[in-house]
Amino acid sequence: MSLIIKDLYARVKDGAQILNGVSLEIPKGEVHAIMGPNGSGKSTLSKVLCGHPDYEVISGTAELDGQDIFAMTVDERSRAGLFLAFQYPVEVPGVSNANFLRAALQARLPKGEELDAVSFYKTMRSTMTKLGMDTKFTARSVNEGFSGGEKKRNDILQMMMLEPTYAILDETDSGLDVDALRIVSDGVNAMRAPYRSFMIITHYKRLLDYIKPDVVHVLYKGRIERTGGYELVESIEQNGFDFLKTEE
Amino acid sequence: MDESPFQIDTRGEFAFPENHRFDAGYGLTEATIDYICDAKGEPDWVRQFRKDALKRFHEMPMPTHWAPEGINNLDFDQIRYYLAHGTAPYKSWDDVPDDVKRTFERLGVPEQERAFLAGVDAQYDSETAYNNMREELSKQGVIFVNSTEGLREYEHIFRPWFGKVIPVNDNKFSALNHAAFSGGSFIYVPKGVKLAQPLQAYFRINSESMGQFERTLIIADEGAELMYMEGCTAPKYDSATLHSGVVELVALKGAKIQYVTVQNWATNVYNLVIQRGLAMEDAEIRWIDCNIGSGLTMKYPAVVLQGRRARGEVVSISLAHSGQLQDTGARMIHAAPETTSNIVAKSISIGEGRASYRGEVNVLKGMKGCKNNTECDALLINPTSRTDTYPAISVNGNASAVQHEASVSQVDEEMLFYMQQRGLTRAQAMSLAVNGFINDLVKEFPMEYSVELRRLIDLEMEDSIG
Amino acid sequence: MSMEEAFALAEAEAKLQQALAEGKQRFENAVVPNRYNEDWRFGRPNKYAAALVELLQSDTASSGKAEVKNAGDAAMVVTRDDDDLRQTEMLMPSIGSDALLGMHLKRFGSGYALFIEKSISEPIHIYYSTGGLYTPSTFIMVAPGVKAEVIEHHAADTPEATMFVTRNIHVAEGSELSVSLHSSGFSRYMCITDIQNMGGKVHHLTTHDNTLWTREETVAEIYAGTESTCNNLYSANRPAGESILDQHTRQIHHVGGAASDLLYKNVVDDNATAIFAGNIYVATGAHHTDAYQSNRNMLLSEKATIHSLPGLEILADKVRCSHGSASAPMDDEQLFYMCSRGIPRREAQLLVAEGFLAEVINKFRALSQSS
Repeated sequence: MSLIIKDLYARVKDGAQILNGVSLEIPKGEVHAIMGPNGSGKSTLSKVLCGHPDYEVISGTAELDGQDIFAMTVDERSRAGLFLAFQYPVEVPGVSNANFLRAALQARLPKGEELDAVSFYKTMRSTMTKLGMDTKFTARSVNEGFSGGEKKRNDILQMMMLEPTYAILDETDSGLDVDALRIVSDGVNAMRAPYRSFMIITHYKRLLDYIKPDVVHVLYKGRIERTGGYELVESIEQNGFDFLKTEE
Repeated sequence: MDESPFQIDTRGEFAFPENHRFDAGYGLTEATIDYICDAKGEPDWVRQFRKDALKRFHEMPMPTHWAPEGINNLDFDQIRYYLAHGTAPYKSWDDVPDDVKRTFERLGVPEQERAFLAGVDAQYDSETAYNNMREELSKQGVIFVNSTEGLREYEHIFRPWFGKVIPVNDNKFSALNHAAFSGGSFIYVPKGVKLAQPLQAYFRINSESMGQFERTLIIADEGAELMYMEGCTAPKYDSATLHSGVVELVALKGAKIQYVTVQNWATNVYNLVIQRGLAMEDAEIRWIDCNIGSGLTMKYPAVVLQGRRARGEVVSISLAHSGQLQDTGARMIHAAPETTSNIVAKSISIGEGRASYRGEVNVLKGMKGCKNNTECDALLINPTSRTDTYPAISVNGNASAVQHEASVSQVDEEMLFYMQQRGLTRAQAMSLAVNGFINDLVKEFPMEYSVELRRLIDLEMEDSIG
Repeated sequence: MSMEEAFALAEAEAKLQQALAEGKQRFENAVVPNRYNEDWRFGRPNKYAAALVELLQSDTASSGKAEVKNAGDAAMVVTRDDDDLRQTEMLMPSIGSDALLGMHLKRFGSGYALFIEKSISEPIHIYYSTGGLYTPSTFIMVAPGVKAEVIEHHAADTPEATMFVTRNIHVAEGSELSVSLHSSGFSRYMCITDIQNMGGKVHHLTTHDNTLWTREETVAEIYAGTESTCNNLYSANRPAGESILDQHTRQIHHVGGAASDLLYKNVVDDNATAIFAGNIYVATGAHHTDAYQSNRNMLLSEKATIHSLPGLEILADKVRCSHGSASAPMDDEQLFYMCSRGIPRREAQLLVAEGFLAEVINKFRALSQSS
């Protein structure tokens, strides 16, 4: 049981090709970090996996526990267990956080079954408290008028509520101060389980000090150029990505 | 210092004696048209074309949806439709009669020529009085002539587009121009030719009750680029004068046309101009428009975005002082997918002046990925000033985005106080503030025009605030 | 009565008589809506107004049910022979529909008049319903310093039903009125509203659902006022199917120093068309006016159409005025974000559309509750 990506080529619709043959396997229970310089295709990889309409797959496959991801719509992928914490979470005016999450959870229930509102609010409140969020945020529109840090926390709240089996965190650390980073990381660590895996996209060692990865990949020019353990993170922290260029 | 026997007021309103070889008299009939055709030596098809248009003109009603009330004061029988010194344009400055020269000197045309002129097609009343075209332009295959010459000598180039962008029956004034047109510029820029310097024409009305019906047609062939500038001034007379021009632009695939107008007619001129451009695939048309003069201006430069990814833009400044109605605006017709347009209009109302914005943005059925952005800002100077905004936006379908924002404001009293405390007069402070208001748009105008614009605003402020 | 008061009264009476005389002429000279009428520019009068005219001129009697709730002794049934109310209706403005207003006057004599003289905590409800043709009139008069809320429900008993309502709202100095109007289910629905604000606060909301053709004309006038005087106009609608929603507004500032706000939002689906034509008029001398007007549209289908004409006419100084109009499809990023959380596309669309309209309802509620 794992997330398997094979020879994935993808481009911006009618635009530049960004992924040039990504192959990657993330087994259940593992945390994988994806590092790489700006423009290497990290965010594109996360968006292609989730089915963002701006991108198109040229060739290659991606499987989630044996299911073809690319045959599914965006929401089907989510219900199949795939979650993306956005680099820039989107504002949805007029839709309250609570209604939004309820709709997302309701969509996961079999037809005819109603979400238990009382336990929903209980869980939501307690999760928000864990993340250090004011419970007033339940009534506020999704991400509207939130600070950068609040938006990131709100995405982590959604992740904890939706309990995905594969979670992608796209530069969740950017825009977070040290305290917020610790809270978010604690949340992620608490979710680590043998039946769940994470793909953590980041530029910095900082986040990976809090969430220790099992495997580290370096993405460069749309391909996985290196795969290793935590020592790879330390080497990048000291020497940057220059070693990739000298190999050319 | 001023040797001229003529008085010039702050808005450049002044008079010169009339002396015309051709005069078609008052009113517009078939006989007037025969007179014009004979004087100009026009081919039969043009004569027939004019007569057909005359019929339409008499049949058609005055416009309703797109018109301010003042337009009904116009009496078409009190207009002289054709006046000229002679038919052949003067190719050299020495050939131009002295009184005409004096007019041009007042207007500063020779200076402008020295400064940057690439070619001149300056219009003195109906006919082109002075026409100088630099040799390299013709070497590049550029045609820059007046409308008479254009239809006579280059029929194969101009006739296919003549009256196609703005048809005879577009409205009553379009029909009028089709019947009575004279003067104006016909320009053709061949494939891939990019003109580094702007082409320029200068219009004048110098005869009482003289209608000026200039006709301009500019064709930029594939990949060609040009900028065209016109300035308009008229002396003041006791009776009203009509200016009803038609300007057609055709930007073929990938071509770019910029059309710059600075209009400073006297306040008893009705200025009713139809300007429309057709932008084909990847082409771009920009109207840069400034209206300062005229008692009633009705002018809404339009771009029909006919080809995929075509772009249109209107940049507009209007200044209305007491006794003036500047009814200006813009029209953008998105007739192809992925077309984009932009409208920025700023108006200033002074004294009892009234500035109105009238706009149309239309995204036709089935056109996907179109975008329009419109901004209209109005500044009111006095408690009696007036401003109006009348936009009409139509969007069909769920694949285009259209946005319109407008605001009305006054000059901030705190700002005026601050400047006055530093020693400026109220008029100077106001002038600075007004210049600041339109500053970002003035930059779009060529240097000598923007200097002139600022000077005119200074004068207006002195007049109204003193 | 002092001499001055008697004189003022006589003058007011003379003015009224003159206005009535002019009013009569106005209806005699009025032309039924046609496409040359600027106020019917995109409203397809030959198709829709003509059908209403035909019905109003026919022998079909006006018939419907009118009910009122929570009004106490404030409510009064409008009768045929109530000349005062009839005169009020005669003097009300329309936006290009004087001829229709004249026909409504001929059928005058049903609906409710509310004379609200003391503040009330519970909203007053007015219900009008019909299965045929119904032409009621609503009058709401709020006494000085009084706070009140009125909710009007205009419902069709059958899909063929037609309703044509006139509404006169008069708010005195220092009073505050929240009034909402919900219409639904008609074949044809038209309402002409005149709000006369003499120095109070008015919050006005309309929603129109499931009607094939809706024409709303709302004129909000400020006749006297201070800094706290305001007219706030809101509307939120979701035209779908083949329906036409034709809304016209005027924010008129006869005097300065007051404020008006307008937010009309539509989500347009299927083959539906939404027309918004608004105008802010700030009269000569009405200095220090704040007036805002905003029309936002979300288009959901390829065949949906909007026409937006937000106008301004400013004849005064020291005015803060702005208007905006925006029309766009649903934001793809928002949709993607919601789908990425597992919400099916259609449902996500509904949520985004609801959220889009919620801004209007929330604004209105916030104002109503603060009062």
